Amino acid sequence: MSPLSPNEPRSPDGMSDLSRRRFMQVMGASFALATASGCRWEGEEILPFAQRPTGRVPGTTRRFASALDLGGGTIASLLVTSYDGRPIKIEGNPLHPLDAGAASARAQAAILDLYDPDHSSGLVQRHEGADYPRTWKEFDPWFAARMEAARTRGGAGLAVLAAPSSSRTRAALQKRFAAAFPAARWVEWTPVARTNEVEGARLAYGRPLRTHLRIENARTLVCLDADPIGEHPAALANARAFARRRNPEAETMLRTWAVESTPTLSGAAADHRLALRAEQIQPLIQALEHRVKGILGGSSSGPLSPTGTSPAGGFLAEPRVAQLLESLARELAERRGESLVVAGPRQPGLVHAIVQRLNAVLGNTGRTLVLTEEPDDVPRDPAAALGELVRAMDAGEVTELVVLGGNPVYDAPADLDLRRALRKAPLSIHLGTTRDETARACTWHLPRAHELECFGDARSWDGTLCTIQPLIAPIYERRSEIELVAAMLGAKETARELVRAAVAPDIDDAGWNKVLHDGFVAGSALVPVDAAIMSFDVPAATARALEASVANGRLELVLAPDSKLYDGRGANNAWLQELPDALTQTTWGNAARFSPATARAFGIVDGTLVRLRANGRELVCAAIIVPGNADGSVTLHLGYGRAAAGLVGGLPGEGVESVGFDAYRLRGMNALDGALDLAVELAGGTHALARTTDPHVDDEIGKHGYEERIGELLREATLASWRADPELEAHAPHHPPLESLWEREEPAGARWGMAIDLNSCTGCNACVVACQAENNVPVVGREQVMRGREMHWIRIDRHFLGEEGLERVRFQPITCQHCESAPCEQVCPVAATVHSAEGLNDMIYNRCIGTRYCANNCPFKVRRFNFFNYHKAVERQGAEVQRMIFNPEVTIRARGVMEKCTFCVQRIQAAKIQAKNAGRALKDGEVVPACAQTCPTSAIVFGDLADPASRVSRMRAAPRAYEMLAELNIRPRTSYLARITNPAAEESAHGG
Amino acid sequence: MAGDAHGNAPATASRSWFRPSLVEGDQDFASVTRRVAGVVERPKPPRAWYIAITISGTLTLVLFSLVAYLIATGVGVWGNNAPAFWGWDIVNFVFWVGIAHAGTLISAILFLLRQHWRTSINRAAEAMTLFAVCCAGLYPAIHVGRIWLAYWLFPVPNQMSMWPNFRSPLLWDVFAVSTYATVSALFWYMGLVPDLATLRDRAVTPLKRFLYGFFALGWRGSSRHWHRFERAYLILAALATPLVLSVHSVVSFDFAVSLVPGWHTTIFPPYFVAGAIFSGFAMVVTIMVPARQLFGLKELVTVRHLENMNKVILATGSLVGLAYLTEFFIAWYGGNAYERFAFLNRALGPYSWAYWLMVFCNVVAPQFFWFKRVRTGLLPMVAVAILVNVGMWLERFVIVVISLTRDYLPTSWGHFTPTLVDVFTFAGTFGLFFTLFLLFCRFLPMVAIAEVKTVLPAAHPHAPQGAAGKEHAHA
Repeated sequence: MSPLSPNEPRSPDGMSDLSRRRFMQVMGASFALATASGCRWEGEEILPFAQRPTGRVPGTTRRFASALDLGGGTIASLLVTSYDGRPIKIEGNPLHPLDAGAASARAQAAILDLYDPDHSSGLVQRHEGADYPRTWKEFDPWFAARMEAARTRGGAGLAVLAAPSSSRTRAALQKRFAAAFPAARWVEWTPVARTNEVEGARLAYGRPLRTHLRIENARTLVCLDADPIGEHPAALANARAFARRRNPEAETMLRTWAVESTPTLSGAAADHRLALRAEQIQPLIQALEHRVKGILGGSSSGPLSPTGTSPAGGFLAEPRVAQLLESLARELAERRGESLVVAGPRQPGLVHAIVQRLNAVLGNTGRTLVLTEEPDDVPRDPAAALGELVRAMDAGEVTELVVLGGNPVYDAPADLDLRRALRKAPLSIHLGTTRDETARACTWHLPRAHELECFGDARSWDGTLCTIQPLIAPIYERRSEIELVAAMLGAKETARELVRAAVAPDIDDAGWNKVLHDGFVAGSALVPVDAAIMSFDVPAATARALEASVANGRLELVLAPDSKLYDGRGANNAWLQELPDALTQTTWGNAARFSPATARAFGIVDGTLVRLRANGRELVCAAIIVPGNADGSVTLHLGYGRAAAGLVGGLPGEGVESVGFDAYRLRGMNALDGALDLAVELAGGTHALARTTDPHVDDEIGKHGYEERIGELLREATLASWRADPELEAHAPHHPPLESLWEREEPAGARWGMAIDLNSCTGCNACVVACQAENNVPVVGREQVMRGREMHWIRIDRHFLGEEGLERVRFQPITCQHCESAPCEQVCPVAATVHSAEGLNDMIYNRCIGTRYCANNCPFKVRRFNFFNYHKAVERQGAEVQRMIFNPEVTIRARGVMEKCTFCVQRIQAAKIQAKNAGRALKDGEVVPACAQTCPTSAIVFGDLADPASRVSRMRAAPRAYEMLAELNIRPRTSYLARITNPAAEESAHGG
Repeated sequence: MAGDAHGNAPATASRSWFRPSLVEGDQDFASVTRRVAGVVERPKPPRAWYIAITISGTLTLVLFSLVAYLIATGVGVWGNNAPAFWGWDIVNFVFWVGIAHAGTLISAILFLLRQHWRTSINRAAEAMTLFAVCCAGLYPAIHVGRIWLAYWLFPVPNQMSMWPNFRSPLLWDVFAVSTYATVSALFWYMGLVPDLATLRDRAVTPLKRFLYGFFALGWRGSSRHWHRFERAYLILAALATPLVLSVHSVVSFDFAVSLVPGWHTTIFPPYFVAGAIFSGFAMVVTIMVPARQLFGLKELVTVRHLENMNKVILATGSLVGLAYLTEFFIAWYGGNAYERFAFLNRALGPYSWAYWLMVFCNVVAPQFFWFKRVRTGLLPMVAVAILVNVGMWLERFVIVVISLTRDYLPTSWGHFTPTLVDVFTFAGTFGLFFTLFLLFCRFLPMVAIAEVKTVLPAAHPHAPQGAAGKEHAHA
């Protein structure tokens, strides 16, 4: 029997029943051991840096390429900055073909998880309701023996429940696992799978194929409940291509049409936007395909034909929809080979298949979209395999279950009682980063290494093989998934060897070093394939899909992964929790999204608690009104309401309220994407939503003031009107000539400035997290956000403009404008905010006494005040690991001082020093603030305004550039480039 | 005396050529001394005094505890937020500075204008000024984020070789308020010197004799003393007079110099001064009515005094009303959309209740003083005075909070909700104010004994000794 038989568990703390004599013995031994091997750098010789290792300069940062699997096929290729051996910032890998230096908010926030105090630091065995700390030394021999026993059984009774992975290493290990344990089960489950899209390819082409968007080749983009620039495995690359094609100065400009159930980033960026329930997309695409075929076949006019398979009537007959369909069909037919239709991940496979067929008919396939083989094994029915495993566990067929990552107890369909099934398994081992819901339901919890602590690999969307390399030895004794599977197999290779063998078996050491340096294997992208469309049946649209309905019991529920927490994995990440949702500006929680009309029908206001009944289950959650949401459709995002996320995301068992509402409780095995039988009733009471920069104004006077000024603050024009009036004079406020009392001296040297192109900004929030990581911006928590005390140095204002039903969504990133005649500087009584010679509006933290007058006088309200000591939690003893996250180049601000965007002055200085050491002048583009660095669409450009050739100078000189509130004579150094929309010609224009 | 006669022709020539006496009852020099010094010399104050000081003392302790909590925790214990980086802290500061205006106005300006009716109320009003300045000065000191560095506001030599920023209105504020506090304290103390000597001479215990004597600075009442005293008093009055006008003008610069819509208006200095006098007089009325009842000073602080103050309240209240109208006119006439919105938002936005309550309290309520019965009735005048105090607090709230919560970018608009700490800190400042005032009433002469004697009929050179005083006292 194993040495760790539960018959002899130790006391939980392992010490409490020690006698004094025994204690002295133990401690004596510990002290002796501590001097001998008291560090975690096992197997490495520690030598003083008497001779500096090559390439190492003390006090400078080093950068390493790595990668991160964000789930759902999204692989972030990273360049991680390390300071004195500790990773402090994640950026995108500039060499990578897809990410090209950008990183999403989620990818960048992952660095906070590395230092999360809830990140498991040791093994825990659970026995009869009590937890016992264990070590790997105890676990390893026992586990090896247990696996050996399983091997002799051929693996019978052994099961592995893993999250899907694109790792080749794991695939190789999985093969060896299957050989070693032929009778064992290997089940994969993830709550958000790409099932529909692959199913569509199966229908359309007869085999699973992966669709790669080539928006750069398109002139028309149609998003059908899809968000290719927001929720897509290649969202960063798509957004970059999208923004390039949206350049109004270029010859042609992309036109975007979006039909969606709830506003998304793509919908916000679209020129024409129509809100329809998700279930209405199918009749719409059928009608569109029919009409396009009709036009291509010669019938260039006439109403939508009711014949054939095309649905008609219902919402399709509404003038707004019919007009949109007609002009869209004409445009698609006209721009053959230059258009692109995309369906969203929660649309059924059939819609994806029709979209594939339509793209093929339009000649887009091979031009604006490219097909490759699907390298991942995407299951047709992901819940079925999990259901079968649960059945086997209930039947007692599983004696040993190993859960490799993921959190199935939390995110499994609600009709599978995995928790109960786990109790039936005598041994269940969970490898995970935190003691989450699954860890607490298993008999063992093993701490899983963060991606920055271990070797691994991942395949990015285009197929490029990315390597994951450790930047730091595991802070605690944590192991990766690869290491655990290798241990199950009794493999002797290290993770590094396994990865190299799987990713680049035929490469020499130099080549391997280059792979690690670059972060990926060059030229490993998937090869495009040709495929012919097969015929498939399209059932007639249901009558209910055609009707407008806000009737109870016939509402539509959409369950979507969250833009921040995704499937729940980000729940304990405070940066993500405090990041305002792009569309609702909500932090610290989710809420069911209702359209204004639907909300009125049920008497719902923001924050009303509603009871949602669907799939035979119910959930009480908060509601939020989202203009631009489809009537009769309710969207709720997954990932919230965690029962055991940690001190950030919720740990009700230990008195930490869980954040948000658990949408998984409405999810059934056959209804992963939502339900059509949703009933809503008021649950009584309200739940306060923590929203940040919400311009919602309930009163008439506020609305009036808002509408009166927004056109000046956020300038936009249609392409046609902009060409007629390139300076956008119509939007400029009238004011007397701006004069100064003083002669202005322009000192020699740089004049730093910024330009933000509103046409390129998609509202993705990446800059907000980049700034937070770079500048040690604290997190303040839900209550403080509700008091309006969030600390973000850059914020993205979101506006819903236009009348109800025709809402336009607009984003505007706002940070310190570094006014040359800064109102904040004049009023500070202690001269704590002053101008630098290079035009920066500097904030001197140790001079500031916190009168807050500067913030009152800031017309942009970008200044942030430390109302409390927001770093209290990391100042205490025992928070040494949490403190490792800080960027040493940026001061940690004390309580009672003001802070704000510095234009990343530390980066300016670093670049200047570098240039000076090299004895040359600074080049344009050498100084890149964190926000500009990570912007996937390069909407934020920074540089020297004194250099007329710099990019920022040219942008500032562009006709559509304007400075916000310049009429106050504050002379902002930040310019905005007006947003230019490209709607279809006036006679057919509609939908915004 | 002469000033009175010039300004106010005698209404009833048949009685006498000079106007009715400023004190009532059968008062002579000795009785005034007895009456006023008696308050201080009573072995025990009235029971109401004990009750009052228990309440106010408790509130003072609450104030000190909350200030300690604030210093230990951070400004976040208040409701201040973004965009309302200032909230009740500055509202209360301006409120108390406003209250602090009456004392010096009564002492200095009315002195220079020879308004002799001021004599029996100036002492208490000046004391109120000082105590209100204490409450006011507390807020700017504790509202800063790093209270322990608040002394950086002063131009003290330091190792950083840093001057404060002389362009900042907050710095002007520091000078204005501290100068005002200093001059008010000097003025008040100087006026006290002869009366302290009176108390010293009447003191029965050695300790009292020593303390009063110490602060009486060796006053013997010689002609030379009186001569220098009166010269110095006049000079200080002349110095204090511009301060009355300057201090609230400078406070108003905090707002007027900024570019927040609703703050950035040139009308603020006169409008603030009028408002300050308005609120200061209202506070004097609020306090003097119960105080004269409580300490038996009805004959020295007469209804006529109160009525005069009510007239000032009526005048300044109307001025404030005019300022409100002017603001709206300029907001419309100036053509600045942000400013126009700021004022429409005051009247019609989410805080419109505060605005209209303010208009009622500050503009409508004082109009009742057109009626003599309201002007001279104790209860009605106290009711109106309290309404004015509420209204003037609301005015500061309207200016500070409503303007800040909706400035330029709609996305940074917000709401302000005070916390309990805000509320109890404010209540605590009232505790401090009343505690100081009650202690003042108990230990110092509430009425300027020496000055009142000069307005007694007996002091008039033309008065038949004693008779005229009696006659007119009954008139």
